[in-house]
Amino acid sequence: MPGRYFRAVYEIARKDLIVETRSKQTINAAFVFAFLIIVVFSFVFGERVEDRDILARGALWLAVVFGGAVGLSHAVALEGQNEAIEGLLLAPVDRSAIYLGKVISAAILIGFISLLSLFFVAVFLGYAFDGNSLLLVALVVPLVAIGFSAVGVLLSMLMLHSPLQESLLPVLLIPLVIPVILSGTALTQVDIATGNAFEWLQILLVYDLLVLVVGWMTFEYVVEE
Amino acid sequence: MSLLTVSAVTKQFGPHIGVSSVSFELDAGESAVIVGANGAGKTTLIRMLASLSRPTEGEILLDGEPVIGNANARSRIGVVGHDTMLYDELTARENLKLHARLHGVPESRSEQLLETVGLATRGSDRVDGFSHGMQKRVSLARALLHDPDLLLFDEPYSGLDQASLQRITEVLSALEDKTVIATTHDLERGYHLADSVLFFYRGQLVEQAPTTEFDDVTDLIERYDENCRLGDGQTTPGVSPTGTTPTTVTTDGNRPIDGGEN
Repeated sequence: MPGRYFRAVYEIARKDLIVETRSKQTINAAFVFAFLIIVVFSFVFGERVEDRDILARGALWLAVVFGGAVGLSHAVALEGQNEAIEGLLLAPVDRSAIYLGKVISAAILIGFISLLSLFFVAVFLGYAFDGNSLLLVALVVPLVAIGFSAVGVLLSMLMLHSPLQESLLPVLLIPLVIPVILSGTALTQVDIATGNAFEWLQILLVYDLLVLVVGWMTFEYVVEE
Repeated sequence: MSLLTVSAVTKQFGPHIGVSSVSFELDAGESAVIVGANGAGKTTLIRMLASLSRPTEGEILLDGEPVIGNANARSRIGVVGHDTMLYDELTARENLKLHARLHGVPESRSEQLLETVGLATRGSDRVDGFSHGMQKRVSLARALLHDPDLLLFDEPYSGLDQASLQRITEVLSALEDKTVIATTHDLERGYHLADSVLFFYRGQLVEQAPTTEFDDVTDLIERYDENCRLGDGQTTPGVSPTGTTPTTVTTDGNRPIDGGEN
């Protein structure tokens, strides 16, 4: 029953976003992290680095990666409260619907964190957008958010009951999202050539698709005891 | 045909055996309580019956259909676990509506069940402001939302205030047409709730006895002592090390056998 499946995906994503708007745990944690990274970059390198583009991209992706990891960890931890995840696992839908729902909500949150970071980078580091780069950013941010979330949700669920979850997640997550970070960094170059942009976009798309399929297929075994 | 068939189910956690080759059957409308000391395998079995844990060996069938990995079977099972499975940031009504939508039942059913568990006036309150007993009542409502054929309760009476205890006992007593399996340390309530008692000891089902076999709860307690302690010196609250002389038995025979989790 695809109708019920997609309804479940929607309900789980919606629930996560409602919980987040009330607790603000993910956004608060990620916001502070992203803000601090960019402000520190601005103070330490601001006057000394001439190429503002390089500086801005470095700060932006560092903020997104670490802010996103902190955010993901909080977003999945809510399923551990009262073992709420088990309530979802008891629902009569394929359990991959839970995975997709959580990837969507996490991607929306990471997308939001990325936009916030972009704003800070523009304000504090003078990152200059033109029409083309803005268009590319609008395409890259959702793709990065999806790739990041697809891996992050799977890993966070694996470590849901681990007392080391918060410290382990970035250690395991960051090496796995290197293709996302590299693509994001390359695609936010202000003067990137069209051909190069297309190649990086292809890498990002293939990566997203691959991790989504792997997560979708393996989620049931990840959450099962 | 039995509604629930459990055949030679074993669950192993590395070298440790949680449940060892357990088999039993229950007919539709039959209820059973699982009793045993902490670590006897009660919760492990309930989790496998709920399809939250996959047996290492053996099979669990609901009306002839395997339970594990089967979404259809899950639509016929309701579970109240140790934890409430609720989201603290959502209200009681929102929690129930979420599960109603996931189970494909009308949202109006949430209102009906809030009424049943005595929380109709608190439906708009967030569950993190509720007492443990109230949260457990919401959890019970969640388990009943889709009108399941098989209900699984893991320690339904633990940590409840008097009002919640009374309400949950009333609701459970009214589930006559359902197949109910509950783990409990409260032998008196278990005795009144169930048609049969499953005695567990170190992961094994040592005896399945109909409650009609016991004249009263004291009789059941004696059998518990024989089956679930087997003279290994294990002591439990309210019972002396010999396992025969209760030190804190209440006058109504409501003796706490074990206090904690399985």
